[in-house]
Amino acid sequence: MSKNFLEIQNVTFAASEKNKVNNVTFNIEKEGEIICLLGPSGIGKTTILRTIAGLEKVQSGKIILKDKVISSSNFHMEPEKRNIALSFQENCLFPHCNVVDNIKFGAERNKDKWLNFSVQDLIDLLHLNEIQKKYPHEISAGEAQRVSLARSLMSKPDLLLLDEPFSNIDQSLKEELQLKIKKILNEVNISTIIVTHDSYEAFYMANKCGIILDTSLKQFDVPYNIYHFPKSVEVVNFLKRGILVEAEVTGETTLQSEDLGTIIGNFIEKKPIGSIVRLLIQPEDLYHDDKSNLKLEVVDKKFRGTNFIYTLKTINNQFIPVFVHSHHKHQHKIKDKFGIKKPVFIDHLVCF
Amino acid sequence: MEIRRPNIWYISSFFVSLLVFLPILTVFFSFFEVTTDYFSLLKNTFLLKYISNSILLLVGVLFLTFLFGVGAAYYVSFYDFPGVNFFKWALILSFAVPAYIYAYSLTAFFENYGTAFSILTFLFGPYEYNSFIPKVDGLFGSIISISFSLFGYVYVLTRASFYYQSQNLIDVGKNLGLSSKKNFLKIILPSARPAIIAGLSLVAMETLSDFGTVSFFSISTLTTAIYNAWITFDDLAFANQLSFILLLFILFLFIIENYSRGRAKYHTPTKGGIKTKKKIKLNGYKSFYAISFCGILFFCSFLFPVFQMLFWTIKFPKYLQNLNAWDLGFNTIVLVVLSCILMIILSFIANYGSRITKSKFLDILTTFSISGYAIPGIILAVAFITLVSYLDNLFFINFKSMFIGSILGLVVAYFVRFFALSCNGIKSGYLKINRSIDESAYLLGYSKFKTFTKVHIPYLKNSVFLISILIAVEIIKELPITLILRPFNFETFATTAYIYASQDLLEAAAAPSLFLISIASLFILFVSKYILTED
Repeated sequence: MSKNFLEIQNVTFAASEKNKVNNVTFNIEKEGEIICLLGPSGIGKTTILRTIAGLEKVQSGKIILKDKVISSSNFHMEPEKRNIALSFQENCLFPHCNVVDNIKFGAERNKDKWLNFSVQDLIDLLHLNEIQKKYPHEISAGEAQRVSLARSLMSKPDLLLLDEPFSNIDQSLKEELQLKIKKILNEVNISTIIVTHDSYEAFYMANKCGIILDTSLKQFDVPYNIYHFPKSVEVVNFLKRGILVEAEVTGETTLQSEDLGTIIGNFIEKKPIGSIVRLLIQPEDLYHDDKSNLKLEVVDKKFRGTNFIYTLKTINNQFIPVFVHSHHKHQHKIKDKFGIKKPVFIDHLVCF
Repeated sequence: MEIRRPNIWYISSFFVSLLVFLPILTVFFSFFEVTTDYFSLLKNTFLLKYISNSILLLVGVLFLTFLFGVGAAYYVSFYDFPGVNFFKWALILSFAVPAYIYAYSLTAFFENYGTAFSILTFLFGPYEYNSFIPKVDGLFGSIISISFSLFGYVYVLTRASFYYQSQNLIDVGKNLGLSSKKNFLKIILPSARPAIIAGLSLVAMETLSDFGTVSFFSISTLTTAIYNAWITFDDLAFANQLSFILLLFILFLFIIENYSRGRAKYHTPTKGGIKTKKKIKLNGYKSFYAISFCGILFFCSFLFPVFQMLFWTIKFPKYLQNLNAWDLGFNTIVLVVLSCILMIILSFIANYGSRITKSKFLDILTTFSISGYAIPGIILAVAFITLVSYLDNLFFINFKSMFIGSILGLVVAYFVRFFALSCNGIKSGYLKINRSIDESAYLLGYSKFKTFTKVHIPYLKNSVFLISILIAVEIIKELPITLILRPFNFETFATTAYIYASQDLLEAAAAPSLFLISIASLFILFVSKYILTED
């Protein structure tokens, strides 16, 4: 008997022949954990949620919730029996009910289960006060998403599934809501799977993240590891938070690169001396130093408020992003030479 | 949830479709049956006359309904003039006046010593006016009557198309330097064409189905021929053969209508909703044209028959006293209520079935089962009798006494004829309920049945109300099916009016006609908002 709250064992998720994710395995270990599934649009993330909810059948493998098999190739529990709530990306509110009644619809289920939020609390928390008497066709897509979320929460499910819950919500409100919802989910201790294509959102919300690329789950780990120790080139490319630079392994802790000279650090995975590898360089890995003789040309500069991101061109025409604090006293223009501190020290070396 | 094996939904949808399809099959098979010699006799003599009369009638009606319908829709959609909001809905009241009652009014007004004669005598003193007053009867009278009672179809569909037409389209036309006349001819009218054609093909189907008007004016068309073959010569097979010819015409129109309606759909508004069109304000003599056009149309199509019937009801009060209005009203209500219940329940089954089974086959079946509205009532009634006689011989159960001359038979025949109305109504309601709404309900723990009762029914109750009213209006006006299949001594306002009129007792037909128009008008006013697609 397993100890995990939810187990997805070797499941192939498919809505159609084209839209397929093969052999997925991951677990939610404890009740209350938040999982984010991250991947580009159209990869089949929604299908995964629909299958877990019971709206689609599995082709192979098993889904086990609280020690009970709910889906397998020869068994299918009906969605209404699963106690799993899914909040759809598109508007799926009941058109004949206003906002409050829609949320109350959710509260009909599991009436005896205690929840430390009332319908009114959720309305306040999610800023739905002004629209509570309105009907679904009178509210915006973002508002509908919040109502749908509140409705799903009120049904007190064992497992909550959220499909791009913040996709129609504007940036400033999004951050506030992410904070609140994370807090609510932690307080009510409802296990949640969130699907998103926004890596920041996933890293913030999740206890664990899954990266889905090209019909399979590429990596499933805590957000820190996903970011710092990506397991494959595809994951690096998907996260778009670094580039790969060719280098030769010259010692236990050193590499030599034509672009950046000597690089020192700790290898995550041992590589034989003399082998040519592709080293992951992330924007925070390089430090600016005006006095350094390693000078690269600035090709682009983005102001991000707290910092600048300079894009530098190496002699091999690689474009490397570098963070610089925005209070840095002097600015560099495009086509200027930009010094990089030598030798380059990177705490952990991720090579492919 | 995909349910693949045949289940209750399959079976019931199949049954519904079969019920509608059987009369058509009956007509088809009867065509190859041997009939009396009367058919060959008729084929050589009158058949061509019947067909040519039907075609003449059709051409005349199409011309007039196009003129009235598009003209009125154009004026109320694009111009602002005194009374425009009144005319907008007043013009749909013409739906309340069946063509045969219009025909009675025309005759009552223009006949020798009729209402026109009385008015002239009252105004200018006694004189022999009869020779001045034109006689509106025969083919011409039929065309006028049918046109005024049916132009509403063209008006409503064209107006809806204008209503959804983007203001941008018109603005672009102006921007390209088109005058408003050119704008109308080159942009507005062509883009409303699918709607206009859909409206005209509905008119055409109704015209070919018309029985009351042409039989009153003694015009021999295919419908009266079917009726006579059955009543006078007691030759069901021959009646069915004539039906077959008529059905071929109808089938052609049905295809046109379906095709155009499919294309008319592309007019749905863009995401930003419908921008209220800037109407052009008319002043002076221009507004006079608009008011006159709409005013005369409203007067002719609605006020004229109402006044005429009212005038006679008052003038001959003894017929009103003799009229058993309560009984007639009660009979009508029984028919309406039973038919509505049957149709709406079966529409729900058909729609819900094809929704939860996601079956293409069921979709096709449902499409077949709505073809009933294209079958003229008279064909349906005759085919129904034929079918029941077959079954009677086949099973030794007394189907005849169950279905012919019984309320059950009437309700079933109405069902076949008007199922399209209710089925399409429920369907368009369902189209607005996203599939993920059902799924959300399941995920909140609602079973399929509970989803149906808690989500679908409350949401669709407006549609059900609207459909019931539309069915009611159709049944109240319906003549041939009721006339042929009703139980002995069971009368409605429609049959009473028809029977008096066919006995040349037009004065007596006035009171039941007036009742019929009033009830139908009331119902139409209830749902005018929906008919004008402004909900």
